[in-house]
Amino acid sequence: MEQRLASTSRMTVNERKFVETALASDLRVDGRRPFDYRRLTIKFGREDGSSEVQLGQTHVIGFVTSQLVQPYRDRPNEGTLSIFTEFSPMADPSFEAGRPGESAIELGRVVDRGLRESKAVDMESLCVVAGKSVWSIRVDLHILDNGGNLIDAANIAALAALLTFRRPECSLGGENGQDIIVHDPEVMEPLTLIIHHLPIAVTFAFFSEGNIMVIDPTHKEEVVMGGRMTATVNSNGDVCAVQKAGGEGVTPNMIMQCLRIASVKAADITSKIKNAVETYNTERTLRKVKRHSSTVTHQVSVPDVITKDKQAENIIRHQEEMIHHEPDRISNCDDEMTVDTRTCIKTEGNSRDSCTDPFVGGPSNWDPYLNKLSSNLVGKSQDLLGPLTIGKEQQEESKSNKMAVENSPEYATISSNSETLGVSGPRQQTDVAKSLKDAVKSKARKKSKASATTR
Amino acid sequence: MNAETSDAPPTSLVDRTVVPGDTVLDLTAMANQTIKLGAGLRQDCDTISVMKAGKLRLSKPNKYWVESSHKRYVPCVEDTVLGIVVDCKPDNFLVDIKAPTLAFLPVLAFEGGTRRNIPKFEIGTLLYVRVVKANNSMNPELSCMDETGKAAEFGQLKDGYMFETSTGLSRMLLSSPTCPVLEALGKKLSYEIAVGLNGRVWVNASSPSTVILVSNAIMNSESLSGLQQKIMVEKLMQRLQ
Repeated sequence: MEQRLASTSRMTVNERKFVETALASDLRVDGRRPFDYRRLTIKFGREDGSSEVQLGQTHVIGFVTSQLVQPYRDRPNEGTLSIFTEFSPMADPSFEAGRPGESAIELGRVVDRGLRESKAVDMESLCVVAGKSVWSIRVDLHILDNGGNLIDAANIAALAALLTFRRPECSLGGENGQDIIVHDPEVMEPLTLIIHHLPIAVTFAFFSEGNIMVIDPTHKEEVVMGGRMTATVNSNGDVCAVQKAGGEGVTPNMIMQCLRIASVKAADITSKIKNAVETYNTERTLRKVKRHSSTVTHQVSVPDVITKDKQAENIIRHQEEMIHHEPDRISNCDDEMTVDTRTCIKTEGNSRDSCTDPFVGGPSNWDPYLNKLSSNLVGKSQDLLGPLTIGKEQQEESKSNKMAVENSPEYATISSNSETLGVSGPRQQTDVAKSLKDAVKSKARKKSKASATTR
Repeated sequence: MNAETSDAPPTSLVDRTVVPGDTVLDLTAMANQTIKLGAGLRQDCDTISVMKAGKLRLSKPNKYWVESSHKRYVPCVEDTVLGIVVDCKPDNFLVDIKAPTLAFLPVLAFEGGTRRNIPKFEIGTLLYVRVVKANNSMNPELSCMDETGKAAEFGQLKDGYMFETSTGLSRMLLSSPTCPVLEALGKKLSYEIAVGLNGRVWVNASSPSTVILVSNAIMNSESLSGLQQKIMVEKLMQRLQ
């Protein structure tokens, strides 16, 4: 008993009296005029269909999800819309987790009536296969902070979430044409809901036997007030719903005045919601555009650069290896030479990627360097290196002598291009190699300079 | 990083924001000194480290404590707070002071209080009281008398308007010299004010507009510096006149 007493929020008699005396002179405790709304901020989350509304101190989150279900029997070609509310205990000491209290159910009913009875959300567009499957839209409203006037804030949160929600595109297909295929949002752009108009809820609080009326009551005013009325109107001037649950009686004149004020406020709030939704939509399309362009450029640019660099780099690397080995090779026995060349060629083959290689295997059509290679060199390289790649020592020893000798000058001529050594070779090779030299010249020189300086 | 802060002279962290885990004092550097530790500080062998986030304060010569601002109040002895009567029992009133548990106000804890003249407080009465006993395990005990037994402004607050703020703002309003916002408001308006260390403030003035102005000015002044508070009050005055 003491725990419950300790946890509820309290009003002093001083506050009660003061709120009423201040209202008698048209003053509200937070400095507002009687028909002023508090500051309204509408924010959206990353996912489609999630909104966050702050009305002064009141804080509400709305979240929309959809699911394919069987329709109701009496409405086989209409989708369904359901509102769920959750009054979190962190919002107010009097909210308890678990079963929704009276005010929670009332809030859910008012928001639901505003959307359903006025046919704001188009239900027939949610039908996929009449009588078998329709889209069921579920709106969850979470109250995070109770600063007063939860109905208005929750209604705005529900509308903002419904306006930004996108349901996946689906089509009929399959073997018998009756299966429903739900398309992934990445594959086909999801669709918005068709919303005809925006029903805005405006809450009034009555004091001192219905003589004084204020709009958008705060938490303290709600404790003190005598009665409350919520009018749901849209910017066209249609009255969608009116809710007055108990409390003090009010004259019909007062009610008509309330409805007139409500339609003015509704126009204002509708424009605010629409502006917020528009900024969210432009941001969303910008996000989509950025992602697409970056993947396209990535695919196009990367392979060319890497393979060209690698080819040139490999050529230079092996040039230099050959250069270091060369004096030894000429003086040493042939076996060692063959070993050197073989290992070098094998490493060449290993280090190069899937891109084809003018020295091992056949030329590929797309390599620009190969176009400039003469057929002589290509043929010779094939003869030279074809047997090498088999990897049998005996065969290679006999042939590889020739190859080694011929290979080394080949590499030598290439090395002479890089200006590190001036080893000359047979003219034929030099003539042929010149064409290769020309092809490789500009990039190889730059790369070799760079690699020479770095190494 | 911790080594650096402990090597620096201890007064360098005074009046600065500290977080739990910061080493504030290195006791090996100070021998034969008595240091009094207040809220939020704890001794770990040779060092004093912080347990609560807030501002480190020093009261010369040797009192250190951490000041922080919360919406809930932890009762301390000798604090003056504003309480709301929740229930009346034969022996004491149950009073809510924004603490984890309700506080007891003995029926006889008033100046000249006897069994014959027990005050009648209805539920929702606002009282200005003093905390006499405060333990973690027991309900706090209050009194409407000061130590000598006199009334001294304690008791029921009539009329006016009460609003709730954080404990940090209450301490700022009670600081001396007078808080800039109260001073600036006092130059143009006449009002009376009672501030409770539990984050409750009561304001009374002759007209409701003055009360509303004063209460909104105080609520807006929490994060402003002294000069900003003065500017804010001047702007408010200009708008009204």
